[in-house]
Amino acid sequence: MAASLSLKGVDLHFGGVKVLQDVTFDVEPGVIFGLVGPNGAGKTSLFNCISGHYKPNSGSITISGTEVLGSAPYRLARLGLARTFQQPALQLHATVLENVLLGGHIRLPGWPVSWALRLPYTARAERGIRAEALELLNRAGLGWAAGLPAGELSHGLHKGVELWRALLSKPALLLLDEPAAGLSHGEVEQFIKTVRRIRAEQDITIIIVEHHMGLISALTDRVVVLDHGRKLMEGTAAEAQSDARVIEAYIGKDAADDAA
Amino acid sequence: MPAMSSVLANKSTRVILIAVVAIALVVAPLILPAFTNQTLVRIGVYAVAVLGLNIVMGYTGQVNLGQIFFVGLGAYVTAYGVNHDWNIILVFVAACVVPGLVGLLVALAAARLGGLAIAMVTIALPIVGVPLAKRLDEFTGGSQGTSARFTDAPDWSGLYNDQWQFYIVLLVTAAAFLLGRSLVRGKYGRAFGVVRENEAVAASMGISPYRTKVLAFTVASIFGGASGFLYLAAVQYTSPETLSFGHSISLVAAMVIGGAGSIAGALIGGAYYVFVPQLTNAIDPNLTTISQGAILLVVLFLLPQGLVSLPRVVRRLFRRRTSRSSLPGNPPQNSPVHQPATDAAREGLEKTERQDRS
Repeated sequence: MAASLSLKGVDLHFGGVKVLQDVTFDVEPGVIFGLVGPNGAGKTSLFNCISGHYKPNSGSITISGTEVLGSAPYRLARLGLARTFQQPALQLHATVLENVLLGGHIRLPGWPVSWALRLPYTARAERGIRAEALELLNRAGLGWAAGLPAGELSHGLHKGVELWRALLSKPALLLLDEPAAGLSHGEVEQFIKTVRRIRAEQDITIIIVEHHMGLISALTDRVVVLDHGRKLMEGTAAEAQSDARVIEAYIGKDAADDAA
Repeated sequence: MPAMSSVLANKSTRVILIAVVAIALVVAPLILPAFTNQTLVRIGVYAVAVLGLNIVMGYTGQVNLGQIFFVGLGAYVTAYGVNHDWNIILVFVAACVVPGLVGLLVALAAARLGGLAIAMVTIALPIVGVPLAKRLDEFTGGSQGTSARFTDAPDWSGLYNDQWQFYIVLLVTAAAFLLGRSLVRGKYGRAFGVVRENEAVAASMGISPYRTKVLAFTVASIFGGASGFLYLAAVQYTSPETLSFGHSISLVAAMVIGGAGSIAGALIGGAYYVFVPQLTNAIDPNLTTISQGAILLVVLFLLPQGLVSLPRVVRRLFRRRTSRSSLPGNPPQNSPVHQPATDAAREGLEKTERQDRS
């Protein structure tokens, strides 16, 4: 079941630096939502607040109606939240399959003792999740890499492995932090196709932080533009691109006047 | 399919290998001299301690310099239980549970601290443990230590004492290694690994870094306690010297030399712990410390992943040499997507090795 997300008056300070001020918006279940803005606008900070890695100073963040502000990040996975990182964070010595399997952690039953004793139900669950992870990799055309150490793959494939790792947890809300960063043009096209396929097949809400406006226009149903930690506007990607305030935030007031 | 048949062959050779080793281990004590049996028993004793240390340090990446404290605690609990005529099963359970509970309490506090702070807390354990063992002479026999004989071979078995002890240690060690091996594969093994590498990623996968560290530390303490039980079964005597800090560092060295993050490495580490002091003593008793240090440096320089990686390194050297003589150019490249996984994997490995060389 796709999750909804609601932010109300989120404030985040680091000492005297106001990183986020009074950010409020709602994300409907099942949409692909974009979070855009110039460098330093607070996009990734906001992301880290949603995923529990940062604690906002005030405000409210709810996932499908459950208040998550102040929850430890590992608890949010149980609410159906999964995320990728700006810099792909894989275990480079472990195989690609082992990396993807990490995403299945919360779906596996049993206590440490039952795994140490290798009780039949844990062995069955392990076989099942392995088959599922392999299936994901095969469908993504990455089956050939399953047994390779992740460190031997390219940056673009690392991003792919991270995505499949996040998806193995069957998330209701998926956060993608700059998925196109460092990808070639062809890889971005491939990524757009992949996300479309995921949305067509699964009941899932996706939030994307991205600079790449082509990707934002191609994928998102709705965007929020942040600037200096404040919400500048909310609307569709096309509306954002023609909004005078957004253009000003990206290229400066004088340049915007020149362009007009 | 060639890949499938090689997997099957691999599996059946494995089963045969395990059967041969199992039979050899059962028959060995009956034909080996008593001294060899005692040496093998001591390897088993320390292999279990190194296995526990490997789970918390090798797999989970939490520096633990106090493992010997849990070995000593297990040994003292065993001595206490035996001298108070407890049932032997109860003694064994207590020797695992008491260190496990102490380890859990220490970990609940220590795992809240980040990074090397955990190492500092664990250093304190043997440092506090030795005077404590001297002071609490009601339980520990003070500085003289305490002895407990409970592993003399019963008459019905017709075995000598060293053979009987061998079977006890073999049973417990084999069980500990099977349990440890299952634990570090699958759900919790992956959790240990990701907590070692990146706690933020662990948390985003729904894994609590704190709980995972506490789990690994507690498991290590339980294995330490089991090792203490075996120690008393083999040596039949323990004193405050058993849990001195120096032994704890030797355990860490044995773990790293055997192979951090490897179950087989723990067994090799146990063997290292027992053999290397014997070897260096035989060379020159005055130079044991320095020759042990030299061995440590040489092994880590040549095999940074420990002795367990020796076959892998040798195989790679060998393959490199053959591929250098037989591969004048690049083989034709197929699209990797359409290749069976194993072939592509092999090609990928060779590709990087070729790049490494140039």
